[in-house]
Amino acid sequence: MPSWSELEQFLVSGLALGGVYALSGVGLVVLYRATGVLYLAFGAVGALGAFLAYEMLQASAPQWAAWIVCILFGGLVTLLYGMIFGPALAGRDPLVRAVATLGLTLILFGAMELLWPPTSGATRAISLPTDNGGFTVFGLQVTWTQVIALGSGVVLTIGTGWFLRYTKLGTAMRAMANDRVITATLGVPVRRVEAAAWFGCGILAGFAGLLLADLVQLEPATLTFLVISSLAAALIGQLRSIAVTFAAGIVIGVIHDLLTPFSALTNYRDMTPFVLAVIALLWASRHRTVVTRSREEA
Amino acid sequence: MTGVDTERSAAATVAGQRLALLRRPERPVHLLVTVVLVLFALFALPSLMSLYYTGYMTLVAIYSIVTLGLGLLVGRVGLYSLGQGAILQIGAWTAARLLFATAQPFPIVIIEAGLVTMLIGGLIALPAIRLRGLYLALITLMLAGAFTVVLATVNFPNGGGGFTGYNGQQSHIPPIRRPSFAGTDAAYYRFAVVVAVIMFILVYAHLRTRPGRAWAAIRQSEPAALAAGINITFYKLWAWGLAAFITGVAGGVLAGRDVYLYSINFTTQDSIILLAVALMGGVYSLWGAVIAALLMQLLPAFLQNLGLSYAWLYILFGIGVLQVLTTAPAGLVDQFPKDMKKLGGLIMKLVRHA
Repeated sequence: MPSWSELEQFLVSGLALGGVYALSGVGLVVLYRATGVLYLAFGAVGALGAFLAYEMLQASAPQWAAWIVCILFGGLVTLLYGMIFGPALAGRDPLVRAVATLGLTLILFGAMELLWPPTSGATRAISLPTDNGGFTVFGLQVTWTQVIALGSGVVLTIGTGWFLRYTKLGTAMRAMANDRVITATLGVPVRRVEAAAWFGCGILAGFAGLLLADLVQLEPATLTFLVISSLAAALIGQLRSIAVTFAAGIVIGVIHDLLTPFSALTNYRDMTPFVLAVIALLWASRHRTVVTRSREEA
Repeated sequence: MTGVDTERSAAATVAGQRLALLRRPERPVHLLVTVVLVLFALFALPSLMSLYYTGYMTLVAIYSIVTLGLGLLVGRVGLYSLGQGAILQIGAWTAARLLFATAQPFPIVIIEAGLVTMLIGGLIALPAIRLRGLYLALITLMLAGAFTVVLATVNFPNGGGGFTGYNGQQSHIPPIRRPSFAGTDAAYYRFAVVVAVIMFILVYAHLRTRPGRAWAAIRQSEPAALAAGINITFYKLWAWGLAAFITGVAGGVLAGRDVYLYSINFTTQDSIILLAVALMGGVYSLWGAVIAALLMQLLPAFLQNLGLSYAWLYILFGIGVLQVLTTAPAGLVDQFPKDMKKLGGLIMKLVRHA
């Protein structure tokens, strides 16, 4: 049994990781509510953006330009996908639309494997300038990157909640979550609202990709399939509640990292999101509370 | 008395009709072509292929069983599974463990592996089957992810002791044994083809009888199927169990094919690619499963021969999935002949005009 002092540092890193899961999960939920698409390419888009940033840094481009390219790349690819395949699959089952985003995932994943094949020697890494600075709180070393990760999770969750509740665009998105046809009849420019949702989700994907490349590892498969962890958070929030998704993301990140020092469990810590999501799904199905967008059954 | 007699004779007629339905092949020409193709794959192909392609064609035979199971779930019942890769791993693990632990004949072991996989798959499905559509697909993805993590720690058996049968310190790793009658690669290829044919016949028999009709009804409309007196949960579980069984058998054959199994070769993306190729091949036809397996296992062999990166495969499959979902829901098996007919018509038109 590791002592508290050993666990402390993992609590900090877990909170940071949880923050990124939370903001990714919130991005997934918002897009799902507005468009009915579960965006499984979230991780792949962010990963490819991070690789682009890495390549720019290798070519000694200014850092801020690399970060912006990464984030914008996420937004643009996602927007493009949404504009092409959103309407083409609009009338289809949510399942089919989710599987279609797996197609995009495979394309992006293949592109990464092709352009940045696994290296035998030095591993690639992105380090944000915020890694070096930091401060000590209760005797714990905290880097600014970790603060940004958790902070952006908190800010984005509150911001998104506020946005959906009080702005005109947010109200339109909530209306579309209930009924797309009636919303369109009421004069809401449905396609434009959807485009905004796609772009916003993509920006979050790029941002999350950048943070995860720094906090976890700059490696195609790892980053691409980390979306499953964020997806677990979104599922615990039943693809509906932003607050629950945020909490679930934090819990997943913290439990995952806190298991690291336990020698019996450390190998199994990657199961955390899966196990929690499966429990949540089964619990929800027992209580018949798996409610989705209008006229869908679950 | 007469009433009972009529009932009995009516029941006999129904039974007779059912038997006739099962016995009469839909299209005799198709049956003939199938038989010729199987015979060709069994007897002519091994002597035509190099050892390199024999190994890959064995994989095609094995994975055609896996995509057959997935196609059954997706196309016939409407259950999307993103966890078939994990089911295959369970089958391979069980077969490897049994092959090291016992001296049972190989065919018995792979059937046992199938049954164990069916049991585990059923236990997973029992609570999950209540979920529908997207949620079922996601829960299978989560379970597959969790299983991959477990497998990475437990590892495949390599002749060690204990329940897991894994020994990390072992310097000499014994190979997984093959059946005595199929020791060489060519013979093992034939064995895999025979197993695949048996599995296809098993599924075909299901599709032509009561469960097949029940699945078709469930896919069309669950409320209507329920109203027609079909036990939906039972038949869904049946489909799930059948798919898990044949996938487990395929896992057993895979264990004998690979001889040495490493958990690092089995990843979460396998399950996603399986769904991608199954959709591309076509989930509404049994031939689609064969095409899917060719795409997944023979295409990489060609790419490697051409010196192209494996990554092109992912890109191709990604494009394929998007194309199938937007324009050709029945997959290549349906689309290719249509395209060929169109092309033929176009050529004929050109020839006539010239």
